[in-house]
Amino acid sequence: MATASQTVLLHRALYMQQAIKQAAETFADFASFAISRQGAHYAVAIADIDPEADGDVVAEFCNFALYNTMQRKRKKI
Amino acid sequence: MTAQESQAATVEQVDTAQSRVTLALEIGLYPIDVLYGAAYIFIDRAYVLLDKDEGVGRPGRYLVHLRGKNPMTKEQLLGLSGEFSNELLSQALRRKVVKQNQKLIEEITTQAIAGAAGGSLPTDFLANQDDGLDFLDDPLGIAVPWEEKFKKKKDEPGAAT
Repeated sequence: MATASQTVLLHRALYMQQAIKQAAETFADFASFAISRQGAHYAVAIADIDPEADGDVVAEFCNFALYNTMQRKRKKI
Repeated sequence: MTAQESQAATVEQVDTAQSRVTLALEIGLYPIDVLYGAAYIFIDRAYVLLDKDEGVGRPGRYLVHLRGKNPMTKEQLLGLSGEFSNELLSQALRRKVVKQNQKLIEEITTQAIAGAAGGSLPTDFLANQDDGLDFLDDPLGIAVPWEEKFKKKKDEPGAAT
């Protein structure tokens, strides 16, 4: 059984799209993700969140997206 | 400008029900690398969400939302935000030191890599290497056994018996 969906706004100046996609792939077993552009943000619609998943899937996903962004920016330098 | 507005990092909101604290930082004061550096340190302790407030008619701000992985009191949340502010300063200083010493760091690294790769040894060191000795030669008598060295002394007049 899956829970209701949530939308997270990640600022485009602070998060990289590829990093968000990578995080979405990581959490694909626990929820479904749809990424779109909404003004200065990426809007990530997170649905079908597995209620049996340990911890907060949405918050963990945001941490992963941030971490992936940092990694990618470091590689660019 | 009020005293609170003049501070570099201000606590914007504390939400104990959600165990969340929001910090606002002036964009001009903290480069994005500093913000990432501080966020990286906190990523295992808290849920970190960064945002940007473009600011109409005032300088833009970074918004840092920190949420505890476990329930936190107001004091703990304020402590967390204080630690984040300290980490920002630490990262800013670190960045400054690295920038100042970049040439020196690069030089040392280049020398270390060249040394490890067997590159450029000092020329006088190489010149002194060929001293005409075979590897079996022992001009300092290092290979002479102890017994041989001290046998002569035993035979000398006045040697202890």
